[in-house]
Amino acid sequence: MIKGAVAIFKRDFKKFLSNPFVILMTMFMPIMYLIIFGNAMGGTITHVPIAVVQEESFSTSTPLFVSAVDMLKVLAQRDNPRMFDVKVYTDEAKAKRDLNNGIVKAVVVFPSTVSSSDAVRLYVDSSEYMIPSLVQSGVQMALMSSGANNRVEINKIYGDIKYIQFFGVGVIVMAIFMSTMMGGGIALIKDREMGIIEGYLVTPVKRSSIILGMIGSGTIRAFLAGFIIFIVDILITGIIIQSAEDFLLVLVVLFITSLGVTSLMVSAASRFANQQEYAAVAAFFSLILFMTSGAFYPVVGMPDWLRWITIINPEYYAVDALRSIILRGQGLGVIGMDLLALLLFSTGAIILGITTFRRTLE
Amino acid sequence: MERRNSPCLEDPPHGDGQTTGSRNIPDNIIRIDHLTKIFGGRTKNVTAVNDVSFEVKRGEIFGLLGPNGAGKSTLIRILTTLMEPTSGTAFVDRYEITRFPEKIRSIIGVCPQNSTLDIELTAYDNLEFYGKLVNVPGSELDTRIWQLLRMTDLEDRARMRVETFSGGMRRKLEIVRAFIHHPLILFLDEPTIGLDPEARREVWQQISTLNEEKTTIILTTHYMDEAEKLCNRIAFVDKGRLISLDTTDNLRKLIPAGDLIEIGADLMNNGALAELHENSLITSVDFRDRKVFISAKNGSRVLPAIVAVLEKYSITMTSISIRPPTIEDVFIYLTGKKLDGGGISNAKPAAGERSP
Repeated sequence: MIKGAVAIFKRDFKKFLSNPFVILMTMFMPIMYLIIFGNAMGGTITHVPIAVVQEESFSTSTPLFVSAVDMLKVLAQRDNPRMFDVKVYTDEAKAKRDLNNGIVKAVVVFPSTVSSSDAVRLYVDSSEYMIPSLVQSGVQMALMSSGANNRVEINKIYGDIKYIQFFGVGVIVMAIFMSTMMGGGIALIKDREMGIIEGYLVTPVKRSSIILGMIGSGTIRAFLAGFIIFIVDILITGIIIQSAEDFLLVLVVLFITSLGVTSLMVSAASRFANQQEYAAVAAFFSLILFMTSGAFYPVVGMPDWLRWITIINPEYYAVDALRSIILRGQGLGVIGMDLLALLLFSTGAIILGITTFRRTLE
Repeated sequence: MERRNSPCLEDPPHGDGQTTGSRNIPDNIIRIDHLTKIFGGRTKNVTAVNDVSFEVKRGEIFGLLGPNGAGKSTLIRILTTLMEPTSGTAFVDRYEITRFPEKIRSIIGVCPQNSTLDIELTAYDNLEFYGKLVNVPGSELDTRIWQLLRMTDLEDRARMRVETFSGGMRRKLEIVRAFIHHPLILFLDEPTIGLDPEARREVWQQISTLNEEKTTIILTTHYMDEAEKLCNRIAFVDKGRLISLDTTDNLRKLIPAGDLIEIGADLMNNGALAELHENSLITSVDFRDRKVFISAKNGSRVLPAIVAVLEKYSITMTSISIRPPTIEDVFIYLTGKKLDGGGISNAKPAAGERSP
């Protein structure tokens, strides 16, 4: 019995050692988890863009307004950069428009009179996690240190949004990613491993056909996965889709996201010869893209270097677009940039996949 | 087992630096010119194909015969554009292999050594998938698939997954799949490896049928009976080199000993043996186990003389058999080893073409 066990141990261990790439990835993964997960989740939220404005029909800025704005500007996390990026508006309507379009996360409206009986009105983007309460406590702190005891009247412009609703949108994107990890690229590698590829590389089929075919089927699978989770999300978390137009817009975002992420994974697969290596790379991508997508935690809470990744992360745009539609009821005007970024990304990934696919056996 | 020789006109002139065949229909459908393939390893390079040149004639069944690891599959993979040669070149029809791989892919059919069927799909789906890849027109595809399934007796299995098929059924399916688009050239890499005798015969039958449709067939094998039965011409390869190439009959003539004649006789007379030795066509005479073993050039011509000698000495003959040397005998003679890889010690020294 021992002899057999030793033989099997040796065989397995020999194979393990003969594949340095997988060894490296097994070491690399936990370290990446530590760095990315730790930073993405635990970061302190800084540089929240907020608008401050004084009520209409004012002649000069009240002392309260001046001192509170100064206070908000200097508020900082301990040892960290400033908490708020304060923009002073002169027009309340414009400030609110910017809030609706996601340019600022909150609007603080100070009363035009000096009287402390008038409330300071606070409008916050309640679709963001953590940010509303942060803004609220910041404003209260600023008022207190200015010696004013005005009431703060809080308006959550998207109503009460629970964390599960915030997170649920991220899970839709996660479903898409999971599906592309399992399908899409892996089929390409399976063909290579099983030698099936030798059968069709000798036919006139073009490598662009092979890649586009794989991306096409992978995209549909990912889209269906995302769609099902979207429906589950509606049922479980109680999000409400305002109109048929919004519903269709969600489908469009799901489709383009599926296309982008599938293209990326198929492109990665076009260079790999075995499933283990591919799985390691897929897990790595999955981690880094999902963690930095803002699905768990607002992107503004991430350190700067990690925030750079979000710029090239298709999942960030997907999460942002879905949140805009589902939680804020915003339309094409707001998510246009997200869609454009996703399309650019997909095109790039498809071209990469086609050009790197090996048309020969070597 | 005589096969018709393909219409063999004179070989085309070999100019230096030919690029593409300038003639409309060259007699040679494949021309291989000093082809070499070296696989780079971490520690050492392996030369799988070593400076090989030969031609394949239009419409023939051409056999690449050699032991495992001789470089047959590599050669096929280069010709089917799956690999690029390290040096040298080759033309398939009018197309150079590295410059016009796509043209070549549309005129060849390939059945690789290892199964490339998708076993999770049905027989029909496999043929349909492949048919679409090789651009069989949609209107003809269904008819063609059923025609091929009939050829292989797999009609009743059409809708079953290939994973339920036996090795022979899979092989037959794969061979006809390579033929779905009526290719000009069919490459079969070890078509009968691992099949039982019955299945092998069926595959052979199929290959002969396909050849009747004017398709050039190139097959690799390490079974000499297969090469003998099917091929018009045979190329011997060993260790990446081309050792000899000729028709089956001509290859047999390479053995100086010629045909082998066995005559059963209960008794033998020394005088008769001596007289047999005197015949200039006879190279060796041996009597053992109540049989006379005679090696002679042109055995059928010398046989009457032998019979006459034995009758003169009143020796009763119980049986006479005469057989030409097999292709395997020739291969052993040329390389000093058997086709299935085992070396034999008492082999004749290698012929001049062999690499040192």
